[in-house]
Amino acid sequence: MKLAQRKVGSNIVLEVLEARLGADKVEAFKDAVGRHLAAGPVSIVLDLSKVEFIDSSGLGAILSILKRMPKGCELVLCATTDPVTSMFKLTRLDRVFTMKKTVDEAVSALSL
Amino acid sequence: MKAMILAAGKGTRVRPITHVLPKPMIPLVRKPVMEFLVEHLKAHGINKIMVNTSHLAPVIEEYFRDGDRFGVQMAYSFEGDLIGGQIEGKAIGSAGGMKKIQDFSGFFDETFVVLCGDALVDVDFAEVLRFHRERKSIATLVLRDVPPDDVSKYGVVQTDASGRIVRFQEKPARDQAVSSTINTGIYVFEPEIFQYIPSGVEFDIGGQLLPELVRNGQSIYGVTLPFAWLDIGSVPDYWEATSLLLRGKVAGFTMPGNEVRPGVHCGINVQIAWDRVHIEGPVYIGSSTSVGDGATIIGPTVIGSGCVIQPGAELRECILADYTRISSVAALEQKLIFGSKCIDPSGRYLDIEESQIRWLMDDARNKENLSESELLLFEEVKNLAVS
Repeated sequence: MKLAQRKVGSNIVLEVLEARLGADKVEAFKDAVGRHLAAGPVSIVLDLSKVEFIDSSGLGAILSILKRMPKGCELVLCATTDPVTSMFKLTRLDRVFTMKKTVDEAVSALSL
Repeated sequence: MKAMILAAGKGTRVRPITHVLPKPMIPLVRKPVMEFLVEHLKAHGINKIMVNTSHLAPVIEEYFRDGDRFGVQMAYSFEGDLIGGQIEGKAIGSAGGMKKIQDFSGFFDETFVVLCGDALVDVDFAEVLRFHRERKSIATLVLRDVPPDDVSKYGVVQTDASGRIVRFQEKPARDQAVSSTINTGIYVFEPEIFQYIPSGVEFDIGGQLLPELVRNGQSIYGVTLPFAWLDIGSVPDYWEATSLLLRGKVAGFTMPGNEVRPGVHCGINVQIAWDRVHIEGPVYIGSSTSVGDGATIIGPTVIGSGCVIQPGAELRECILADYTRISSVAALEQKLIFGSKCIDPSGRYLDIEESQIRWLMDDARNKENLSESELLLFEEVKNLAVS
């Protein structure tokens, strides 16, 4: 699972560097994001701009991260491609997650 | 009178719909586009209809059979082979398809009409034939003016004051186009044209036959007259055509079924509690479909027959094929569900199996169990996102 990370203030931006987030990737994905959460409470911006395909297990993995977010910390998704946005809308998960068009918008959503 | 419907195209721009249905069989609301054409030809006394078929030929042939059910006589000219029990289409072009029939039986022995099977048209053939005969034309094209931005999609023609065609351009760039008048692919021909079509080779009407006629000094004419023309050449076109029909923008089109609420048409044997669903027309609900309590359906929407819309499901501007099940957690906006694909108006699509979203939408007859992870996600989404 390729994940690029950078710190913005006290928050982390994680960019998923995989084109497909499917069953074969979800465990590694959850572990990788989980390591950042284990280090201490932090809000996360998940940049999905490189992900062109997501299936149900991929959605489930992102949902599991949301449930693991420490109190007072947020998870914001951003820059989803059309097929990924479509999956979030079909499942109504776009109403569960905070979703922003760009990384910058997502970062400012956190600092507000 | 005689006609030929061109139905041998592969429909590559309407994939993935045309993986299962040939373009002429794509339904507009409930009726295959070609059925509208057959009815229209019949209304003009054109009752001997040849159809060239290729890709998915049996779907067309088994639907129209000998035409008796439609009050006309129909027959087919199949272009392809049966290889290992599988039909393999091998189309020979629009003019090549006509020539094959002519070589077979000399069928076209009088003035005849040719039209494409993938566009709904209500052109006044009496008027076109009058024009054709007045000018003693051997080929008359039905023309149409389009916005200049659209010319690059079509064959452009230039005519003189009498309607004689003086120039053709195949899909010109906007700034190169000599006019914004285009060939709609509807023709009236005299049998003399067959002298100009070689036998046994692929040959196209627009790209080869018409220029060949002009090269040989034949006068061919174009007539421009107002008529409805709903092209379903691509997924966005199909989307637009369905929407226009549902919104009552096409004269002469009547919605199927009964109007049970203003703007809501319904087949028979529908299971629905009208006071417990939210429906805004124009909507068509097919026969033997069930709509659960709390469902939201916003038009323009077409729901096929035998569909199951589970309680609380949300549908906005959708077209569902027969036997589609939409689960209670799904929210579909501008989706076409067809052949286990979830298709956007742009033509982009998700494969329902590959995306593991059978818990959102599926074939209503599929009783296979969902995987554990799908069930889990269904429950979670139900708790989180469905109020």
